[in-house]
Amino acid sequence: MNSEACDSCPAHVQMAKMGVDIANCDHVVALAGNPNTGKSSVFNALTGLRQHVGNWTGKTVTRAEGAFGYGGKHYKLVDLPGTYSLLSASQDEEISRNFLLFGQPDCTVVVVDATALERNLNLVLQVLEITDRAVVCVNLMDEAKRKGIKVDVRSLSRDLGVPAVSTVARTKEGLSDLVASVAGVASGVTKTSPSRVAPPAEVQEAIDGLVPLIQGMAPGLPSARWVALRLLDGDHKVREALLSGELAELADRQRQAAPLDASRIKAIAGAQ
Amino acid sequence: MSALGILVAGALLVASLAVPKFGLLAKWKRHRAYRAKSRSEDALKHILAWQHRSKLASLESLAGTMGLRPAAVLRVVASLQTAGWVESSAGGIALTASGERRALQVVRAHRLWERHLSDDANMPMAKLHQAAERAEHSLSREQVAELDAHLGHPQHDPHGDPIPRPDGTISALHAVSLNEWPVGRPALIAHLEDEPEAVFRQILLANLRPMRVVKVAESGPNHLVIEVDGGQHRIERSTAANIHVREIRPQDALPSARTRLSDLAQGACGEVAGLSPDCQGLSRRRLLDLGLTPGTRVEVALDNTFGDPRAFRVRGTTVALRRQQADQVLMRPFPPFSGKEAAP
Amino acid sequence: MTPVSVTPQAVLDRSDELRRGLDGSFRDSMVTSLYQRAGELAGRSVREQGAGKWDFDQRIDRILTSRWLGLPVMLLLLGAVFWVTILGANVPSQMLANAFFAVEAAAAAWFESMGAPWWLTGLVWHGTFRGLAWVVSVMLPPMAIFFPVFTILEDLGYLPRVAFNLDWLFRKAGAHGKQALTMAMGFGCNAAGVTSTRIIDSPRERLLAILTNNFVPCNGRFPTLIMLAVIFVAAAFPPAVAAFAAAAAVMAVVLLGVCFTLGVSWALSRSVLSGEASAFTLEMPPYRRPSILRILYTSLIDRTIFVLGRAMLTAAPAGALIWILANVQAGGTTLAERSIALLEPLGTAIGLDGVILLAYVIAIPANEIVVPTMLMCYLGGAMMMDITTYEQIREVLVGQHGWTLLTAVNLMLFSLLHNPCATTILTIWKETRSARWTALGALMPLGLAFLVCFATAQAVRLLPL
Repeated sequence: MNSEACDSCPAHVQMAKMGVDIANCDHVVALAGNPNTGKSSVFNALTGLRQHVGNWTGKTVTRAEGAFGYGGKHYKLVDLPGTYSLLSASQDEEISRNFLLFGQPDCTVVVVDATALERNLNLVLQVLEITDRAVVCVNLMDEAKRKGIKVDVRSLSRDLGVPAVSTVARTKEGLSDLVASVAGVASGVTKTSPSRVAPPAEVQEAIDGLVPLIQGMAPGLPSARWVALRLLDGDHKVREALLSGELAELADRQRQAAPLDASRIKAIAGAQ
Repeated sequence: MSALGILVAGALLVASLAVPKFGLLAKWKRHRAYRAKSRSEDALKHILAWQHRSKLASLESLAGTMGLRPAAVLRVVASLQTAGWVESSAGGIALTASGERRALQVVRAHRLWERHLSDDANMPMAKLHQAAERAEHSLSREQVAELDAHLGHPQHDPHGDPIPRPDGTISALHAVSLNEWPVGRPALIAHLEDEPEAVFRQILLANLRPMRVVKVAESGPNHLVIEVDGGQHRIERSTAANIHVREIRPQDALPSARTRLSDLAQGACGEVAGLSPDCQGLSRRRLLDLGLTPGTRVEVALDNTFGDPRAFRVRGTTVALRRQQADQVLMRPFPPFSGKEAAP
Repeated sequence: MTPVSVTPQAVLDRSDELRRGLDGSFRDSMVTSLYQRAGELAGRSVREQGAGKWDFDQRIDRILTSRWLGLPVMLLLLGAVFWVTILGANVPSQMLANAFFAVEAAAAAWFESMGAPWWLTGLVWHGTFRGLAWVVSVMLPPMAIFFPVFTILEDLGYLPRVAFNLDWLFRKAGAHGKQALTMAMGFGCNAAGVTSTRIIDSPRERLLAILTNNFVPCNGRFPTLIMLAVIFVAAAFPPAVAAFAAAAAVMAVVLLGVCFTLGVSWALSRSVLSGEASAFTLEMPPYRRPSILRILYTSLIDRTIFVLGRAMLTAAPAGALIWILANVQAGGTTLAERSIALLEPLGTAIGLDGVILLAYVIAIPANEIVVPTMLMCYLGGAMMMDITTYEQIREVLVGQHGWTLLTAVNLMLFSLLHNPCATTILTIWKETRSARWTALGALMPLGLAFLVCFATAQAVRLLPL
C-alpha cells in the first residue's frame, strides 16, 4: 500500500480489496490446480517461500501470496485453494472462481498432475471457460516417468490453445520455462486462443439466447459465455453479482481501465 | 431511598420489556405476527388442497386440520377475507384468484424447501415434511426464487409432487394409484404421499422412491406383491393407495442398468451407466465432479476393516466413497461382452 | 439490442425461462461433455507404458488399508512415533534442564554479589527464567522429535489412509471421516486442528470436528503425558521395556481420546447437532517421497519454534506470577498457599490436588506450562539444581506430596479432557463466529474432565483395590 505509482491503478485497488497487496508489482498471477498436484511446491519454488505441503486433500486452507521477478518485472503470485472443479458450491471452489472472475488476474497458472491428466484437465477446461490468459503447468513429470507415463506437452498446448509447460517443481526443473510462458501471457505478447468445450446443442441454444442480453447489460464483459452458463445453472453468487451490478462494473472496468470509485470497490469486496 | 430503588427497578423492568427489537414486548409482537401469518397460510393451503379434490373447505374442516378452536378459525378466515383471498358462501370457503396464487406460493416454498433439504442437507424423506412445514412461512419471495435457481428449477419435490411455477401455475400430476395399475407392466413412481406418516414409513421400507421403476407381480384382494430395485415386497392395498405411478416415457432417460457400484466385488471393474435419479443436488454434483460420468471405467481398488467406505479407481485417481454414495452410481458390467449380463 | 434497455432482472428472468426449457439433466450433460473433452485431450497427449509403479502403490495400499492389517499397522505406526519420541527426548531433556539450572544458579549468585535486592533476583531468575527453563527443557526435545516424524507420515500421504480406515466409526458417530485428518492436525496444535476443519463442507459435521478437536492431546499436553508415563508407568517395568511401556501408556491415553471424540460426536449428533451424515468422498493421493530438508524446515521452524515461542511468551509471565504468589505474604501465609488451600477440596474430590488445579488455572493461556507451573509450586524455594531427573521428580511427587497412582491416572485424564487453551478457544470463536458454540467448546470438555476424574476418584476410593 506504500507505492504511490500503483495506488490509483485499477488492478491495485481491486486486488487490495480482495486482500491482495499488489504494491510494487506489475502483474498478478493466480495459481490454480487440483489438490495434491504439487501446487504448493510450484508456489514455493517460484517465490522462495516455504509454505508447508502435506500430502492430503485440502491442506491449503488459507490463501497464500508471494512474489517473484522476471525480465525486470515484478509478479504477485496468489495461491488459490486446490479444487477439482469450479462447479460445485464448496467454499474453496467459490474462492477460486470469484478470484478468477472478479480479480481478473493477468495470468492463471493451472497446475496439473501428469500422472492423472484426464482428471486434472477437467479443471483446466473450466478455468479456460473463465479466462483466456492461462498457462498449464504439467507437474510431477518425474512421478509420471516412474509410472511409465509420457505426456506430450506440445500436443497438449496445441489442443488447449494456451501454453503448456512440463515441470518437476521439487527439483525446480522446467520452472524457468514456466516463468517465461507466464510473462508472455501476462504481458499479452503470447496470444492465446483457448479451446472451449462445445456443450450439447440445446444448451448452446440457451447460451446463444442469453449472451446477447448479458452483453447488452454489461458490454465488454469478459467471459459472458461463462456467466451465461452459470446463470443457467442457477449459480447463487453469479446471480447476486448480476443483481448488485457487480458484473456491469467489472465490464466497465475492462472497457475503460480507469481508476475505481468507491462503489466499485465495495462491489469487489463483496465478491470475497 | 427505597422509593428511588423501586423507581429504578421499575424503569429497568419497563426498559427490558419495551426496548425496540430486543425487548420482550417486541419479541411477543414478532411471535404474534409470525403466528398469524403461519395460521393464515396454513388455512390457504388447506382450502387449496380441498379445491384440488373438488371440494369446498368449511370452518369445521379448517378447525379439524389446524387443531384450532372455532373462534380462532373464524378470526383467521375473517382476516383472509379482508385480504381478499377467500370468499365464503353457503357451500363453504373458496379461494379467490389472488388467494389461489398466494396459496400456491406457500406450496412452492414448501416443496422447494423439501427439495433443498433432501438434495443439499441429505435429510431423510420421512423428516422432510415436518421441517418444511416450519420453513415455508418464513421464506421471502426472493429467497424462494434464489433457492429455485440454485436447485436448477426442479419440477418435482422429493415425493414427486409438482412444484408450482413462479407465475402461480402448476402442472397436473398424471398418475394413478398403484392399485389401479395392471399386473406385470413396469411403471414409474410419480408420487408418494407423505401423510399419514406411519404409511409413509411402510412405503420407504419397501424401497419405493420417486422415479424408481416398480412392477406389480401379484395382486391379491388386500395386498400387492411388488418388484422394485431387484427386490420383492408385499404391501397392503391401503398403502398402495398412497403410491402413484405413471407410464415410463423415453425422455425420463432412466439408466437401464441395475447393478450398483456398491455391488462390485473387490478388484472388479465396471462402466458407469449413470447416477441414480434419487441422487440430486450437492451429492450428485460431487459424484459428477469426481468424473463418474456415463461411460467412465471404474475399478474397486481398496477395502478396509469395516468394509465401508471403499476406494475406487476413477480416471487415474483413487477416491473413497461410502456405501451410501456408491449405491447411487449405476453400473454396466465391463468389458461389455465378457461379464454376465445385467439382471433382466 | 441497446445497452441501456437490459436490466439485470431482465437477464435473470430470461435465464430462468431458458433454463426451464432445458431438461433436468442439464448439469449432468455439462460435466459429461467437459470430461469427454478432457478424455479426448488426455488420450491424444498421454502415452502409458505398463503400470508398474501404480501396481506397487496399490500393493502398499492394500496392506495399509486391508481388512485385517489396516488397523494394527495404524496402531503400530502411532505407537512407534510415541516410542521414538519418548526414547529420544529423555536424555536431551535432562541435559537441557541441567544446563539451564546451572545458569540460574550462577546468574542468581552474580546478582547477589552485585548487591541486587533479593526480590529482584527472585523475580528475574527464580521466577521468570525458571519458568522459561522448565518449558524449554520439558517441551523442546519431544517436539523436535515428534513433529518431524509426524510430518514424514503426513507428506508420505498416510493420513488420508487413516481417515479411510476410520471413516466407518465416524459415520456411526454421525461425523465425517475427514475429521480424522483434523484430529491428526490437532496432535500438533488444537488451534491448527480447529482451523483445518475447513476441509469439511457440511457445517454440522464441521462443528462436531471443531468441538471435539480438544480430545486429541496437542503438543502442549504431550510432555505432561510423557512425563507421567515415564514416572509412573515406565518405572514399574524393567529398563529394557520401560520406553515401550511408556509409549503404550501414552497411546492408551490417545486412544481414549479417540473414544471420547467418537462418543461426544455421537452424543452431539443426537442432541444439539442432530442431523444425517453428509456425502463422503475422499481423495487418496498417491504416495510421495517426502523431501527430508523440507520436513526438517517445516517441522522445526514452522511448527516447533512457533509452538515453543508461544509457550515461552506465556511461561515467562507465568513464572514471575508463581514466584510472586509463592513469596508475597498476606496474613502470615503466602498467596500460593492460600489459593492452593482454596482449591484443595475440589482437587481432592477429583483425585488431584490444589497445586495441580492452580497450575491449570495459571496455564489457561497455554497448556504447555502446566508441568513447569506444577513443579515450581511443589518445589517452592528449593534449588532446582538437585531435581532434574525423572527419578528425582518422582521422589518429590510421591514422597513429599503424597501422589498416588490415582493422582497420575487422573492427571492424565484431566490433561486429555480439560478445556482447550486460550488460543484454541479464540480460534473456535473465529471459525464459528458464535459465542454459544465457543462456550460449549470450552465448557463441555471442562465439565467432562471434572466428571470423569470425579468418577474415577470415587470408584477407586470406594472399591477395595
